[in-house]
Amino acid sequence: MAILDLQRVTKRFGDKQVLKGLDLTVPTGSIFGFVGENGAGKTTTMKLILGLDTLDAGQITVAGQPVRYGRTVANQVVGYLPDVPAYYGYMTPTEYLTLCGRLTGIRQPDLANRITAMLKTVDLPQNKHRIHGFSRGMKQRLGIAQALLNRPQLLICDEPTSALDPNGRSDFLDLLASLRGEMTILFSTHILPDVERISDQVGILHDGVLQVQGDLNALKRQYARPKVQLEFASPEIAQQAVAVIGRPATQVATHVAVPFRGDYATMVEAILKALLAAHVVPLVVDRQETSLEDIFREVTA
Amino acid sequence: MSATLTFWHKEWLAAWRNYHVLILAVVFVIFGIEAPLMAKLMPDLMKLALGDQLSIKLPQPTSSDSWQQFYKNTSQIGIFLLALVFSGAVSQEVSGGTLVNLVTKGLPRYAVIIAKYLVAVVQWVVAIGGSFLITWGYTAYYFPDDKSPHVWLAIWPVLLFGLFFVAVVLLGSTLINSNYAGFLTAALVFAGLALLNYVKAVKRWNPIALVTDNLDLVRGTEKITHILPACGVAVVGALVLLGVTIWAFNRKRL
Amino acid sequence: MHNSDLFFNNLPLFVPLIVLELGLLIAALVSLYRRQTVRHGNRLIWTLAIVLVQPFGAIAYFIFGREVD
Repeated sequence: MAILDLQRVTKRFGDKQVLKGLDLTVPTGSIFGFVGENGAGKTTTMKLILGLDTLDAGQITVAGQPVRYGRTVANQVVGYLPDVPAYYGYMTPTEYLTLCGRLTGIRQPDLANRITAMLKTVDLPQNKHRIHGFSRGMKQRLGIAQALLNRPQLLICDEPTSALDPNGRSDFLDLLASLRGEMTILFSTHILPDVERISDQVGILHDGVLQVQGDLNALKRQYARPKVQLEFASPEIAQQAVAVIGRPATQVATHVAVPFRGDYATMVEAILKALLAAHVVPLVVDRQETSLEDIFREVTA
Repeated sequence: MSATLTFWHKEWLAAWRNYHVLILAVVFVIFGIEAPLMAKLMPDLMKLALGDQLSIKLPQPTSSDSWQQFYKNTSQIGIFLLALVFSGAVSQEVSGGTLVNLVTKGLPRYAVIIAKYLVAVVQWVVAIGGSFLITWGYTAYYFPDDKSPHVWLAIWPVLLFGLFFVAVVLLGSTLINSNYAGFLTAALVFAGLALLNYVKAVKRWNPIALVTDNLDLVRGTEKITHILPACGVAVVGALVLLGVTIWAFNRKRL
Repeated sequence: MHNSDLFFNNLPLFVPLIVLELGLLIAALVSLYRRQTVRHGNRLIWTLAIVLVQPFGAIAYFIFGREVD
C-alpha cells in the first residue's frame, strides 16, 4: 500500500502552470528521493501534500485519507521539515518542541520525556539558550527534532541538505538512512548524489509532471548506458584516440567515453587493440556505471 | 479549543519576551501618574512661565483637570501605542514563515487570530485598568472635590473602544504583509471616524465617541445613554472585523 | 517659588515616575547591549536616544530598534 498518493494534481500561480497533472506514489516504507531543478515545483508539491495551499485539480491522499486545504487531518501521521525552518527566536528549543507537541496532541508527562530524548538524538543542549542565537546547522537539527517528535509514519523533508556544509550533509543523510524501517521518507533535492546514497525510490519532476518514478536500481537498469571511460595524457592524444577507436565516442578534455552494449571485457579488448595498433596509450581504463545524473539528463533534456 | 489555548500561551510568552508587556506597563503607569501630576503642577508652571508681574488669580486645579489629562493621554497616545505594539502581530509571522510548521501540525488558523486578539485585548484592559486605578487614587487624594461625580462610568467606553481598535489592527496586519500595516490601518480608520464626526446624523453611532466624550461623562454633563448606540456599533464592529480577519487569514498563503 | 519646591512638594508623584523611567532605561540598555545588531540605525544612535530622550527613546527602541526574533 502507498502511504502517499497524488493523482492528476495541477497547480497554477498567475499565468505559470507549475504542476500539470502530477502523479506521484510513495510506497510505504521507502525512502523516496524527489528530484527536480530549482523552481520545478518541488516545494509547491510538498505544500499541497501538507494542505498549506489549494489544489486546482486532482487528489492527494495521505495514509488513505484525502488532504483538504486548511485541514491537516494527517498531522498525526506526517512530520514536516521545511527548507528554511522558521522558529520563534525568543523560545528555547524545549519551549518550541513543547508547543509543537501540544499541537499534535502529545500529553504530559510523555511529551517532556520525548523532548529530552529527542534533543539528545539531534545533539542539542537542553538549557536556557534561546533559538535566535542558533547557527544554521543547529536550526536544521531542531527542525528534525520537531518533525520526528510525533513519531510520524511519513516524514517530508524539503531540500534538507542544500544549506548544510559537507559534514552536516553527510551526518544528516546518515540520520535519514537510520530511520529506514521506522517510517516512510519523502525528501526533495537537486543534489543527485544524496538521492543515490540513501534512496530506494526516486521520482524526477520536470515540466510539471513526474518524468520517471520507481525503484532506483530498476531505473538504472532501464536507462542503462554503460560506458568505457578512458583517460589520456593530453587532450590532443585523447582527440587522436577518438579517431582511432572508430566508434561513437565523446571527448571531454583528456577523457574519452565510449558507450557500449553487451560484455565489458570484450569491448575493452576491442578498444585497446585499436589504440595500441596506433600507439596511443590510455593512462586509465575504467567502467562507468549509469548514474542518476545520466537518467536525469535524459528525461529532462 | 485546546489549540487556541496552546497558542494563547505562546502569545503571552511572545508578549513578555518581546518586551510588549513591559512597554505597555511602563507607559500606562506613567500615564496614570502623569495625569494628576500635570493637573497639580499646572498653576505653578503657569506662574513660573508668566513671572510675578501677573496678579490675576489662577483657578485652583480640580479632579476634572486630572481626568482631562488622563483621557487625553489614553485616547491620543495610549491607543496608538497599542496599535504600534500589535501592528506586526500577524504580518510578522506570515513574512517570517513561523506559522507554516504549526499549521501543518494541526493548529487551526482561526485559533491564531482568536488567541492574538484575546491576548491583545487583555493587555489593553489591564493597561487601561491599572492606569485608571493609579489616576483614581492620586486624584481622590489630591483633589477631593465634587467636580467628577461619574469617574467609574467613564472608563468603560475606553475599554470597549479597545475591543474595536485591536480588531482593526489585526485585520490590517492580516491583509497586508508589512510590519506597520496594522498601525497604519488603525490610524486611517481613526482619522476616518474623526472626520465622520462632522456629520451630525451619525455622531451618536460613531465609535470614536467612546474615546472623545469621556470627560463629559466624568463631569456628568453627558449621560452614558447618549453614546450607547456608539458602544453597540463598536462591539458589533469588533465582532464583524474579527470574522472578516479569520476569513481573510483562512485564504492567506503562509 | 523654585523648581526644587515643585519637585519636593510632589514627591509621591515624582518618585515613582523617576523609578519607572530609570527601570525602562536600564532594561533598554541591557537589551541593546546583549544583541549584535539593531534595526534602523546603529547602537550608538540608539544609546543616545535611550539615554537622552526619556522615556520615548527607550520605548522607540523596543518597538522600532530591537531586532525581532
